[in-house]
Amino acid sequence: MTRGSRLTAVITRLRSLPSRLRDGWPPLSPRKTLRIARWEVEKSAGTIDRRTAAVAVLMLVVGGLAAPAVVEQGPGLDDGIYRVGVEPGDPYHEVVQESAKFDARPGQASATALNRGEIDLLVTDRGPIIPRSTRKGQAAYAEFRTAVVEYNDGQMRLDDNQSAAFPVAVDVFYESRGGSRFAPDGGTDAGAGNTDGTDGTDADGSGTSNGGDGSGTSGDGTAGGGDTAADGDDGVSAPNLGGSGGFGSGTSSGDPSSISPPFPFSSLVLAFLFIVPMNFVIQAYGSTIINERINRRGELLLVAPVSRRDIIAGKTLPYFLGLVAVTVGIAWAIGGGLASVGAVIPIALLFLASTFVGGMFARSFKELTFVTIAVSVFLTSYVFVPAIFTDVTPIALISPLTVVVMDLQGQAVGLGEFTFATVPFLLTALVLFTLGAGTYREEDMFSQRPVHQKALDAIATRVRSVGSVAVVTMLLLPFVFLAELLAIALVFILPRSVSVPALFLTVAVIEEIAKSVHVYAGFEYARFERSKRAAVVLGIASGVGFFIAEKLTLLVQLVQLQTLPEGQSVFPDAAVGGIDPLIALGLLALPLLLHTVTATISALGAQRSRRAYLGAFCVAVVVHLVYNLGVSGLVG
Amino acid sequence: MITVEDLRKEYDGFVAVDGSTFSVGSGEVFGVVGPNGAGKTTTLKTLAGLIEPTSGTVSVAGRAADDPEMRRNLGFLPEESPLYEEMTAISYLEFFADLYDVPDDVAAERITEALDRLDLEHRERRIGDMSKGMKRKVAIARSLVNDPDVLIYDEPASGLDPLTTNYIIEFTEQLAEQGKTIVFSAHNLYHVESICDRVIVMNQGEIIARGTLDEIRREHGSTEYHVYTDVELDAAEPAGDERYESVVGDMDAVEALRSQAGALGGSVVDIQTRDPSLEDIFLDIAGETPEEASEGERDRTVEAET
Repeated sequence: MTRGSRLTAVITRLRSLPSRLRDGWPPLSPRKTLRIARWEVEKSAGTIDRRTAAVAVLMLVVGGLAAPAVVEQGPGLDDGIYRVGVEPGDPYHEVVQESAKFDARPGQASATALNRGEIDLLVTDRGPIIPRSTRKGQAAYAEFRTAVVEYNDGQMRLDDNQSAAFPVAVDVFYESRGGSRFAPDGGTDAGAGNTDGTDGTDADGSGTSNGGDGSGTSGDGTAGGGDTAADGDDGVSAPNLGGSGGFGSGTSSGDPSSISPPFPFSSLVLAFLFIVPMNFVIQAYGSTIINERINRRGELLLVAPVSRRDIIAGKTLPYFLGLVAVTVGIAWAIGGGLASVGAVIPIALLFLASTFVGGMFARSFKELTFVTIAVSVFLTSYVFVPAIFTDVTPIALISPLTVVVMDLQGQAVGLGEFTFATVPFLLTALVLFTLGAGTYREEDMFSQRPVHQKALDAIATRVRSVGSVAVVTMLLLPFVFLAELLAIALVFILPRSVSVPALFLTVAVIEEIAKSVHVYAGFEYARFERSKRAAVVLGIASGVGFFIAEKLTLLVQLVQLQTLPEGQSVFPDAAVGGIDPLIALGLLALPLLLHTVTATISALGAQRSRRAYLGAFCVAVVVHLVYNLGVSGLVG
Repeated sequence: MITVEDLRKEYDGFVAVDGSTFSVGSGEVFGVVGPNGAGKTTTLKTLAGLIEPTSGTVSVAGRAADDPEMRRNLGFLPEESPLYEEMTAISYLEFFADLYDVPDDVAAERITEALDRLDLEHRERRIGDMSKGMKRKVAIARSLVNDPDVLIYDEPASGLDPLTTNYIIEFTEQLAEQGKTIVFSAHNLYHVESICDRVIVMNQGEIIARGTLDEIRREHGSTEYHVYTDVELDAAEPAGDERYESVVGDMDAVEALRSQAGALGGSVVDIQTRDPSLEDIFLDIAGETPEEASEGERDRTVEAET
């Protein structure tokens, strides 16, 4: 073959790539999809008796009504926890009455009652306020101080002249951990720690100060300070501001009394409401998928003139639309906006996609139960835990639920933040559906192969040529992205001396798996000739595919994740700014070399045997790790 | 109507079908026989487009087997009846008619006609509450909702009681009389023999015999001569009325028997010819009948599991 004809052949193959990728995937037929969806609803409705449906609806209604009330009034665990001896005529009696945490005991406002342990705090106009000499007594005293501040603030807010009532206004800015500014929508950095105000609050009952240092605002009375971040060490720069303040909002103004812990309890609980229905819906969805496989029930659908895509879309649509409807309903009920709905939908899709794959891989309902519970626990943790740190760090945005929390807190959500939080979920869901769909055929659906073997089946169905190896590597990138973001979130709380090396190793393992597992599957399923030459070609293809797709990780720049040392460990490409251009160019080109070399190492092992693959994989990981450490040293 | 060329299907190195080549004409009833594991079901599923061949080509009515359009003109009945048991027979059949783009009024007519012909009662009952025979009838009705020209029936009477079995075989014969092209597999060679124009005999993935039944008989079987004498010859069996029966394979042997009988003072009183059954031929070729082979395989499986 001449060079010209080879080139023509390559061009022809490239041109036919889209059609080859679509191979076996005729266009979606909306009519067929909707027909299958309607049938799915009718069929599923027939399996639920009216009593069960009524109980489920009742539980949903009760849960829906109870959740906002819980959020509005707090968990209520400490209602009346402190017993306070105070006479009805005492100036502080109203303070005690207004706070739910106090249980006013008018008949026990005496030193005797205090000494007997009948009350935790004695408040009289005849002398100082006396706490009982126990930890609970001290806590009651601190809480009492807070209650007085809140009461005074409330009184001040009723004043016509607010300037006189609150002569000091405080602007608060947020500092990211590590000292870099993290305020995507701008705002002036007025420095930190400027929330200190004059401590005019005493428990002496003067009631004239507007509260100031932020101390004592936490419920347990032990919180020390309203100082914001950037206090010198590398600790979490948690600003003790609640309300409208928070991460990403840039600046906020408010009175010092609005200081509260950074844990966005209310918004988080409300955001969690979106996740709860998903855990139920995937049980039904997983069942319907595996039902098609039990006793070969789905066989006749495969013979009908409908595509696999129609079947899968039709079976998934009712559950997806159900989740969208529930999401919109919850958003409407709790005051969430479009951002909330838009952020929750990718989560719902990932729940469904993971369950779909689980349903296609599981060999029995028993295995499916394990899979759906694993999906529930893992994804719920994945989306919930980072959202706890909504007000603390950009890492929180690895979860779309953080967008919901921000939305519920009334914070503006930038397009970049929204994209960063949701796109990986969407892409991962898409890839999972694609992988699962690969096994939606007679030969794989009804076989009783182990789960890991089915996973290899699913991957192998997508590997047919050198080009497809590169494409599959690229398709696996969303997994890589999610896994690496999860790794960041997991090691975030560890000391940097531990977290950064741990991340280097984790990243190397994750990326080498993504580059080699389908090559191994290809050799195992005889898609390729077992030769060193083939291994080298496939390794290079996989490495190049990964390099191209990896550039998508520049998405992290949308939220400046690379400003964190953990972010730099995982996404070094995104952190090359500010160094010598030659080094920067090298840092951009070196990954190509790295990925092709390590992918080739693994491929060389894969073409021999499973054991050789595992050995070669370990070598590839070590090479990758050494590279990461080297680049880390270069970047500084 | 159906053309299969050099069909080969492998599963993880196991060859299920090895180089099958055959064709089925329009309106023909074509039998595929063989024991379990012979490759019958794999062959039929490949024809239905359910299984992708490892190599070789399959076309039905001029279309490749994996062409969704081909499926419009095909009715497939798998060995089991994998039905959606939550649905009623009517709603199940309506659903499939819709997938085949059959207009509602036409579908209703076809469904009623098919169920009438199959004599299926309790049509509004959930399929899960039906007997095995009723479920089988629903499955057969499903294969007819699109009024296909080609029917692929894999063991249509498997596991059913004799009455239902006969009913289904007769129904299949009626379909054949209507001009449908039918590919039919069965363990019970009597059923195949009764309705098939041509057959292929498969064993261990290979076609070991093919043709019309007469052709196969000529090629693999031989006519038996049952010779009755009034004296007892060597290897003769008593046949009652002081007659003795000897079975031989050709006329020379018959003449030899006549000579033997004459030598003993007797004579040949009757000669009857009998053509071998498909079962006899299969026994001759494969060494055991499909049922015996299947039983043997089942026993081996049980032993392995034990």
